[in-house]
Amino acid sequence: MDNIHVLIIEDTPEQSDALEKVLLQHNYTVVGVARNFTDALKLFYENTIDIIIIDVFLNGKPDGITFAESINIIPNASKPFVFLTSSQDRQIFERAKLTKPFSFLMKPFNELEILYAIEMAVEKFYDQINVFLSEEQNTVISNNHLFIKKKNALKKVSTNDILYIEVEERYCNIITEKEKFVILISLTKINELLDKNKFIKTHRNTIVNSDKIEEIILADNLIILKGNHKINLSDTYKDFIKKMNILS
Amino acid sequence: MLFHSNYRNNSRDKMCKLKTNLVFILCLYSILLYPQNQTVKNSFNEILKKKAAQFDQESNFNKAQYFFINKKWDSTLVYSMKQLSSGNNKELSDYCHYIRGNSFRQLKLFKEAQKELNLISKDFPFYYLADKYLGEIYLELKEFDKAISHFEKLEKRTPAQTPDYKISVIYQNLGLCYLHLQKFDKAEEYLFKSKELKEKENDNASLTYLYMNIANLYYTQYKDDKAITYFEKSYSLSKQIKDFDKKRDAALNMAVVEENRGNFKKSLVYRKEFEQWKDSLTNQNKIWALADYEKKFAVAQKQKQIKVLEVENQLKNTQRNSLFFSAIGLLIILTGGVYLYAQKAKNSKIILTQKNKLDQLNNTKDQLFSIVSHDLRSSVNALKTSNSKLSTTLETKNYDELNQLIIQNSAIANGAYSLLDNLLHWAMLQTKQLYFHKESVHLNSIVQQIEYNYKPLLLDKSITFENSVPKNIFILADIDSLKIIFRNLLDNAIKFSNENGKISFYTRENNSEYCELVIEDNGIGMSQETIKELLADNDLLAKKNDSEIIGTGLGMQLCKQMIKKNNGTFTIESEINIGTKIILTFPKITNNG
Repeated sequence: MDNIHVLIIEDTPEQSDALEKVLLQHNYTVVGVARNFTDALKLFYENTIDIIIIDVFLNGKPDGITFAESINIIPNASKPFVFLTSSQDRQIFERAKLTKPFSFLMKPFNELEILYAIEMAVEKFYDQINVFLSEEQNTVISNNHLFIKKKNALKKVSTNDILYIEVEERYCNIITEKEKFVILISLTKINELLDKNKFIKTHRNTIVNSDKIEEIILADNLIILKGNHKINLSDTYKDFIKKMNILS
Repeated sequence: MLFHSNYRNNSRDKMCKLKTNLVFILCLYSILLYPQNQTVKNSFNEILKKKAAQFDQESNFNKAQYFFINKKWDSTLVYSMKQLSSGNNKELSDYCHYIRGNSFRQLKLFKEAQKELNLISKDFPFYYLADKYLGEIYLELKEFDKAISHFEKLEKRTPAQTPDYKISVIYQNLGLCYLHLQKFDKAEEYLFKSKELKEKENDNASLTYLYMNIANLYYTQYKDDKAITYFEKSYSLSKQIKDFDKKRDAALNMAVVEENRGNFKKSLVYRKEFEQWKDSLTNQNKIWALADYEKKFAVAQKQKQIKVLEVENQLKNTQRNSLFFSAIGLLIILTGGVYLYAQKAKNSKIILTQKNKLDQLNNTKDQLFSIVSHDLRSSVNALKTSNSKLSTTLETKNYDELNQLIIQNSAIANGAYSLLDNLLHWAMLQTKQLYFHKESVHLNSIVQQIEYNYKPLLLDKSITFENSVPKNIFILADIDSLKIIFRNLLDNAIKFSNENGKISFYTRENNSEYCELVIEDNGIGMSQETIKELLADNDLLAKKNDSEIIGTGLGMQLCKQMIKKNNGTFTIESEINIGTKIILTFPKITNNG
């Protein structure tokens, strides 16, 4: 499980410091603080970013919106972002609103509000709203990551690291090479959201990352994954093997 | 002129005198004809009328006879010509030739008349009349032999055969012819025949000339004594008739006779008489001319009147036109006026609404100022005094009190800030500039976030805060306005709570579409009047009560308006000294995820 990487675009040091402090307290990683539009773009392309916090007004100009507009144009480059603003000027809002999905936070804000805003931004961006605060689910799933809410903060897990997922009632045990943890999500939902070519249901309650399969022992109905994890293979779900054969 | 020259020469040249007299005779002749014609026509006209009635289909003949009887010679000629060219009836042709000949004669076109009369067939019952006219025409044309041949034919007829004229006329004409041919014996014979008949008839007018002719006859033969007797007879007769011409001729003849006798005095008297008759004639002519002139004048007068009328008419036309145009002009002005009035009314209406709007805005501004001037000013002032107190305490290094002061300062600052925030939002709401975006909101989180800011305050008053809003409730609201509402309500709850009080946020589940949120405190509560006042739907802010604790009412107004905008409701349940329940409802989002 990794920290969420945050890029802060804020021209006022006091505010960015306060923001950084709050984020660090909640185990977010602040990749960098950009003071202007150019810096922001530079930092954005140089680093792996999960979320961006953007002040609308940079040195008196609404460059924050310009930045959001710029990254929105590039396909697959865009990331969830939150606008910070102290102005409720309708015109600015109307412009910012066009950079969908649009989340914003009014200044001043307390730490609960910024955390809430980040969660909302992630939910809206991956179009899975009302996840983190509901009692049924705590994970948003993108193509590359699972965003998991742990206590008050978000964590992420790269889907490439997952070996297999084991469902246990409302929970899912995520087993990576290094660790094992529980997330709150139904099997149906996780099955829907994960890449179907990569994650294969091998059993009624098991989903396996096909990239991690090392050996399939049909006689024993057993799959051996990386790290010598042994997974049962149910007859019902054997079909995927044909696909694999064709592929190999 | 001829007379004058003779008179001046005063010669006794007989030829000259004869000539003079001959002229007399010629003149006399045409006048002589007149009464005869009257008779002739009358009897002839009756026959003509009968003929016309007989041939009533021949419209041209009818018209011709009508015009002939009425002496319209030109029209007679036209229609008789038409009758001749169209009709084949021989009898009618004879009548036509006859009336044509007569008409030409009346118009002095003797040659034409002659031609027409010669065309009449011998069977024509009035052929003798044609003879008579031909004779007269030849007489006029001085072809005396031919005239005589025609007259002699008539002479042989008995008076019974000639109802249309008197035989005396024929005798006179024959006499004249012979006179002109200088056959004096025959002339004397005929003239005396005529004289006898005329004297019987007592025709004075004709006798005047007849005597004159006889006198001339004798005078030409130098039988002056006989001649003079007849001249005198003629003269004396002329006194009895009215004809100026005859009077004049008789007088002139007497004058010439007396002159030739050398009796100049008498001659002069006759000459004067002649002149007098001549003058009368000219006078008459003058009167005619005058009448003519008068007629012309009258015509001119009429013309003038017509012109005046025309001008008047034109004037009237112009007047009418100008009246018409002025009426149209007035109408246009009226329409324009009405249009302008309507426009003005419309404009004034717009101005009125604008004025009302401006008044409202101005009111908002005034209230803003009053709040700023009173509350904000007092808050900042409190901060100021507190700060100076802080610095003095810092000098004395009384750290316990220092901490106390800092807490107090932050409380004041918080109050001022929230007031400012409310003020801003309220102003924006009033001017409709507030950005408003409804989305799914996690109610529990928002309550937590609000509580987070009030933690020091709650701690300060040792108030227990409880957030028991279920975590699975999501509502549809604008997050910022929701925060403003909660902030104000929590602020109020804290303000009106006693030390060690309790404030709780919880929901009451009774509807699937709406979420009912209760904010409960066990503070001092409020009276029903206060509740009523708070809930009164009033855009303007309630007047501030003198009590410190009541505040401006701005927060409450803002809450009400924000809740309304979020499609929520707002009610208050309260009991004095027991506590207050603020009940809000918001549209719920049912989370299927």
